[in-house]
Amino acid sequence: MSGELRPAHDVARGLEREAAPVGGVGSAPSTRRGSAAALSQDSRLAIEIRGLVESGRDDEARDRFGELVAMHQHRASRIAYQYLRDAADADEAVQDAFVKVFTHIGSYREAWPFEVWFTRILINGCLDRRKARSRRDRWTVGAEISSADEARVSAAGAPNDPEQRLLARERRARMAAAIDRLDGRQRLVFMLCHYGDCTPREVSAMTGLNESTVRVHLFRAARKLRGLLGGKP
Amino acid sequence: MIGRARHLQEQRLYDCYYAARTGEAIDPRAAEHLADCAACGARYAELLRFLDALRAEGDAESDDLFTAERLQAQQQQIARRIEHVGHPARVISFPAQLVRRGISSTTAPTAPRWIAAAAAAGLFVGVALGASYEWDWHNQDARTVLSGDANARLSPIATRGSGLDDVAADDAFLSELELALDRPRTRELIAYDALTPHVRSVRDQR
Repeated sequence: MSGELRPAHDVARGLEREAAPVGGVGSAPSTRRGSAAALSQDSRLAIEIRGLVESGRDDEARDRFGELVAMHQHRASRIAYQYLRDAADADEAVQDAFVKVFTHIGSYREAWPFEVWFTRILINGCLDRRKARSRRDRWTVGAEISSADEARVSAAGAPNDPEQRLLARERRARMAAAIDRLDGRQRLVFMLCHYGDCTPREVSAMTGLNESTVRVHLFRAARKLRGLLGGKP
Repeated sequence: MIGRARHLQEQRLYDCYYAARTGEAIDPRAAEHLADCAACGARYAELLRFLDALRAEGDAESDDLFTAERLQAQQQQIARRIEHVGHPARVISFPAQLVRRGISSTTAPTAPRWIAAAAAAGLFVGVALGASYEWDWHNQDARTVLSGDANARLSPIATRGSGLDDVAADDAFLSELELALDRPRTRELIAYDALTPHVRSVRDQR
């Protein structure tokens, strides 16, 4: 099963986060993850929405769900884009995942951190899309990056210097190609840990892999990428 | 201490990086070693640079694509989609104008009956005429074929000429053939043939 996720009911396994202080290691990497309190906030919100839906207060539930969307939307889009490498596809995958979450909010359990539950749904959707695309690509020639995406990237934050822009584009294409060369599981673990800010324990809960196996996959993926990219991205 | 005697394995460095990134606790022994060992510290710093740059590049790319406006539009789209969740399917009502027109036109049904009857009669007549025409045509065809066959059979006789002379000549020819067949065809058997009574002579005697 390359990159397959397991059913939702298996996610409820010891996932209590132990937010420990970062050790004093030289220049520590920038911590992008929200605090434990933020995580519990989204889980609490999800429980509240579930209660509202169950009591028939759908309008109120929808309003509250908007907050949940705003909380996870950016991270979800980043993961989906890194996985699908197409902004329109990623956009749809994120939308589908949120709609699915709202539709199945009744099956959400307190024991599961919402982030893990949601990411699992999102990744499953992305995997389905990748499969569908690979089937489609057998018959058609796909573009590496859609022209609309390219135009948007050029128009937005990319440097004004055309040479810089070209270099950035080449660098990103090289990175994407290198990530694409990773084995299915390695890619999944790397995406979730590196771009999705998931801990190996959370990835273990999402994928059903042993936590130490997740660590090994993560290490191998990062080392392989380093080799493929010559030590620099 | 073991950590000082040996350098940290590469995987431990990666573990330290991801632990620090995700806010998990770093193994204290590894952290101590990294603080003390310059070589491992340098390796770690290099690793940190690579992975941070990889992350920054990926984030910059997705941030360029998923701008605030796009995320806002995405949020609205999600809100629109979940608005229909839990609602029963909408039934489209039949256009009232058409229904009213159908009910009010009470005189209309008689006309279509006549039209239907005329159409049926026309169809019946058409089929009957078609069938009879086809039957006639087949008969005519058959007659033509028969006459053609007869001509074909008679034509060789006609070319040879007709009349009583021809019939007499045919009879003479056939009787000659019969005589030739009755006669023995081998010379050595002629004597035996002379001694043997013929069926024809016996029949004649009777």
